[in-house]
Amino acid sequence: MPEHAELEQRLSRLGAELDWPATPNLAPAVRLRIGARRPRFERRWLIAAAAAFLVLAAIAAYPPGRDAIASWINLHTIFRTVPHLATPTPLPPGLLGPRLGLGAQTTLETARAAVNWPLLVPASLGSPDEVYVQPPPDRPSGGEVTLVYAARPGLHAAGETGVGLLVTEARGAINSEFFGKMIGPDTTIEPVAVSGGSGYWISGAPHAFVFVDTAGVVRYETLRLATNTLLINVGGTVVRIEGNISKAQALAIAAALA
Amino acid sequence: MEGRPTDDADLFARAQRGDTAAYEEIVQRYQQMAFRTAYVITGSAADAEDAAQDAFLKAYRALATFRAGAEPRPWLLRIVANEARNRVRSTGRRHQVELRLADHSRPGGAAPSPEAAAVAVEDSKRLLALVNALSEEDRQVIANRYFLELSGEETATALGIPEGTVKSRLSRALGRLRALVEEASIA
Repeated sequence: MPEHAELEQRLSRLGAELDWPATPNLAPAVRLRIGARRPRFERRWLIAAAAAFLVLAAIAAYPPGRDAIASWINLHTIFRTVPHLATPTPLPPGLLGPRLGLGAQTTLETARAAVNWPLLVPASLGSPDEVYVQPPPDRPSGGEVTLVYAARPGLHAAGETGVGLLVTEARGAINSEFFGKMIGPDTTIEPVAVSGGSGYWISGAPHAFVFVDTAGVVRYETLRLATNTLLINVGGTVVRIEGNISKAQALAIAAALA
Repeated sequence: MEGRPTDDADLFARAQRGDTAAYEEIVQRYQQMAFRTAYVITGSAADAEDAAQDAFLKAYRALATFRAGAEPRPWLLRIVANEARNRVRSTGRRHQVELRLADHSRPGGAAPSPEAAAVAVEDSKRLLALVNALSEEDRQVIANRYFLELSGEETATALGIPEGTVKSRLSRALGRLRALVEEASIA
């Protein structure tokens, strides 16, 4: 439109100066819906409906190795089976916190004061050897606390980390998934019930761990390969118990959380 | 806008083989285009989010129809625009798009004087107010063509009208806007 050339130029410049509403990160919801294979949901019904559907999917249809999303069971977690896991970068030397990106080292008391949920400690193991707090945005919106137990009789050192046990607790926004587990063909997963709560026992080959930060961005922690893991929801807190442990040991530790 | 043909071709090929991680990458890459297009059509950020999300799900199911090597943008745009228009029809509501100037807006060339920058911001504000004063139809065609930087063909896709109609509608909208600009500068 040559007769409007100047006006067109001004409009194009104006376009670059506009305050658009922030673009939401659509990938997690789209991913969830692809996994759920349901045609239409209003956004507000999506999470609840997908959760109910996927509980059944997890129990009934979990052949390891299938490239599909298998579950979301109010654990704020998506499980995805993948044919191959990326080889993790070797862990750097030094303190465990920086090596695993656990955040700042602190004391149990300070950690209790730093988060807005009652921190759970496995009574059967006593006080942890190290405590770390990782605030958002590098972790889910409620923050994350990790309790580290050194290897000891009954708790063998885990291959990737060299520690006896990691107990990680996190809270984030309700109705959002903020963790992901990338699970290879040699990993098995089974639903479990612990002290009235529900969860999953993930065992076999190590599996990768990812999380969704407060901006909704999925971050892949390629340097961390988890060992056997019990993942449970205790009163809204997602607790992961990871180590070179048996299922019975993990369930006993979970039952002793107080 | 987000055109990276080689990468796109690879991503679409992987997504067509069922690689959901590749499809997630496609969603990340095109979600801004999809959301803003849906926003211009629906006038509501919440409706735009729902429409864009539905559109990406439909696109995933229609991946088999995507021709290898084709440009993904027009293909996705058609699905997004259809979804957004369907949403306006089914909900019976179309909010008026309210476009505002960003606070940090620094129009003009490199490092203008503070006075010149202030004048330029005022000019932008006035022009935007005049665009907002146009009819919905005029605003839509201007927003698609200049604010979303869609081509004539893409604007036709987004609005669901023939490309020839885009040209005539745009010409009339620009004419009316120019009259408003001249009127405002005399007043």
